[in-house]
Amino acid sequence: MDIKLKNISRKKSTKAAVFILTVIMITLTVAQFQFISYNDIIPESLIIREYSKSEYFLTQEVRNAWYEINSMMENRGEVPEYAHYYYFISDGEKTYSNVEGKDKNFFKQFDKAFYSYEKGTWTIGENTNPGGITNFYVSEGYTIYISYPDEFMNEKQQEWEESREILVPFAVRVGALAVIILILIAFLMFQTGKNQLDDEIHLTKIDSIFSDVLFLFFIPLAAFWIIGISNLYYSGMSHVRQMYSTLWIGILTAFISVMCGIILLSLTRKAKAGRLFKHTVMYSVVYRICDFFKSLFDGRMFERYPLTKSLFYRQLVFITSSAFLVFLTFLFLLLYVPLLVLIPPVMEIVIIYWYIKGNNKTFEDINKGFNESLGEQMKAERMKIALVTNVSHDLKTPLTSIISYVDLLSKEESLSETVRDYVNVLSEKSNRLKNIVSDLFDLAKSTSGDIPLELESLDIKKLIEQTLADMEDEIEKSNLQIKTKLPENSLNIYSDGKKLYRVFQNVIDNALKYSLAGTRVYVELEEIDGKAVAKIKNTAAYEMDFTAEEILQRFSRGDKSRTTEGSGLGLSIAESFTNVCGGKFKVEIDGDLFKVQISFNLDR
Amino acid sequence: MDNARILVVDDDREIARAIEKNLKMEGYEVVKAYNGLEALDALVSANIQLILLDVMMPKLDGLSTTMKIRESKNIPIIIISAKSDDSDKILGLSMGADDYITKPFNPQELVARVKSHLRRYMHLGYMDDKVRTSKIQVGGLCLDTDAKQLEVDGEAVRLTATEYKILELLMTNTGVVFSAEKIYERVWNEPAYSVENTVMVHIRRIREKIEINPKEPNYLKVVWGIGYKIEKH
Repeated sequence: MDIKLKNISRKKSTKAAVFILTVIMITLTVAQFQFISYNDIIPESLIIREYSKSEYFLTQEVRNAWYEINSMMENRGEVPEYAHYYYFISDGEKTYSNVEGKDKNFFKQFDKAFYSYEKGTWTIGENTNPGGITNFYVSEGYTIYISYPDEFMNEKQQEWEESREILVPFAVRVGALAVIILILIAFLMFQTGKNQLDDEIHLTKIDSIFSDVLFLFFIPLAAFWIIGISNLYYSGMSHVRQMYSTLWIGILTAFISVMCGIILLSLTRKAKAGRLFKHTVMYSVVYRICDFFKSLFDGRMFERYPLTKSLFYRQLVFITSSAFLVFLTFLFLLLYVPLLVLIPPVMEIVIIYWYIKGNNKTFEDINKGFNESLGEQMKAERMKIALVTNVSHDLKTPLTSIISYVDLLSKEESLSETVRDYVNVLSEKSNRLKNIVSDLFDLAKSTSGDIPLELESLDIKKLIEQTLADMEDEIEKSNLQIKTKLPENSLNIYSDGKKLYRVFQNVIDNALKYSLAGTRVYVELEEIDGKAVAKIKNTAAYEMDFTAEEILQRFSRGDKSRTTEGSGLGLSIAESFTNVCGGKFKVEIDGDLFKVQISFNLDR
Repeated sequence: MDNARILVVDDDREIARAIEKNLKMEGYEVVKAYNGLEALDALVSANIQLILLDVMMPKLDGLSTTMKIRESKNIPIIIISAKSDDSDKILGLSMGADDYITKPFNPQELVARVKSHLRRYMHLGYMDDKVRTSKIQVGGLCLDTDAKQLEVDGEAVRLTATEYKILELLMTNTGVVFSAEKIYERVWNEPAYSVENTVMVHIRRIREKIEINPKEPNYLKVVWGIGYKIEKH
């Protein structure tokens, strides 16, 4: 049951319905106030039962009477003929009254509303503590009696009670509505941010607005509402206009309460999520400023650059002390103490000396550190190169012996057939090993960047032609056809010819080795967007179950079954050399089509 | 000439022994040394016609040894080194070595180079006597423009008419790079059009005739993407 209730009350539709209901009720409440003022009802009648005791009567009727009487006495005006009160005023000499010859007792008989002023004191009926009436100033020497006839008072009391009859149920209604509205708002505030699934607070998009910005929206909204209502408010007699006025006030109130409701609920969600104050512009600004200053002192600021730390603190001390000294100078000048004025400049000179000296030391440290790290880097680089060179030597020396003795062995005439066969295998393998070692070190050197380049302007078209001519023997042996498509004119690039020859040699060699027998190898060169782009395409003799990236990885080989020749480094070397020479090397595999694209910027 | 004495210097005794064996099979006498100092001693005590010298050796390395030898002697020095960078080769040759072979080497090639240098060294005096203006000399290559004949290290090599013309062009202009078009125009006397392949085929044939290892030519070099040249020796 509990859970069911929870589920219902957390439903979006429930919450929306409650929200709309709240807005409607607020609107109704506000619109009712317009209705009240339209009916010319005096709100005071709700609290004060008797008209004669009301503040309204005193301030409207009595004050008026007093004013008129007083004016007459001071010859500034007259009491109108239709005045519905009896009065008597005298300053000892002059006397005015609309009931000639009547004494105080006459006035006294209207005890419901009898006001007298004698010897500087106001009395209401028998009451000598007359409250608000003492505000009506009268010269001390006057005697004033004011009475309202019972018929008038009864008539007014009747009206007063009619007003009360409307107001009391209205007040009850408004009170009840207010209670309901508050309950609904409380419900909304309680449920907002929650959903049926869990008890977490879920923030929505509007919650990403800073709390204080959101809160500030209340001000224009409230201002808009107040200005709107005072402009729309109409207390005249036209019923149609009254209706319009009520309608517009209702619409305005509904709109404003929707906006306020959204803001209020957003703020509530944030409060519940504990972000109300943290997620404000004020907080983040203050936090950042505080954090900045904190970072200066807790070491975070200079974690990575410890040397700038002392630089910064020195600067801080320098600026503050200089500012202080300037202040001192002004102070001494103002106080006119000529001798003391000399002290700040002298101190400033000392501070400047200290500042420059300290900074120089820090800069020295920074330079030292920089040189050290540079030196270490160079050392590491040299060590890497030395390692490659040494390993190269250590591999090549025994290999030289192997090749030499295998060669000597093969020259022996007394060998049996089997032994000769073995020696041939040894000879073949040792030669292959020689190629692998050579390729390996070429690759190691070119990838480590330790490779001298002889850059010159050369014609890549010519280079491809030369390479193809140079490789004629291999091409003939391969039983493959080379189809070339080269441009008419020369394409000059700025590169290292020898390295580039190795690139094309390796790529074409690769194509010759792994192409399907009888197929064609395409060697193409063209100019595309200021680039010389060479493409070498061949049809593989086997399924290429690897990616373009894998084939370029060191030692990976296209055809794992054919390990009798080559080092498997050909394409890697070609790629590395191309990069070293400033070109781009790309491999594409499309079904059985193997495509290498080598591009260089044209030399202009 | 065939009983020339060769000094083999290598700190790796097995390699020295293998070289010795190979050279002895060709009929040469061999003296071995295992570091630079021993090599210098051996040079004093024996009459040596050619030196095979390793670079990375204890006590005195190959480059220093070369410089020491060059102070007094003019005999051919062939450096054998595991260092295969162009810069190492250039350094070795500029120190006074006549040739540079990288380890691991092909024993046949080593022997061929030894032969070539020995022939050139032995015949040098004889050549000098007979030098005529009609002869162009580049290293071990000697082109007789009158007889239209080429000698490599003193041995006559047969060339076709085209090959001869190309070689003559390049040898009379050592160090100059000729493009295929230029070679074609000068040799064939025809306007050149798509001739790279034609010229390259001839270049390769010439190389096979004059180079010990055509894959790593000593004389006729390709300048990739530009042309061909014969370097000054």
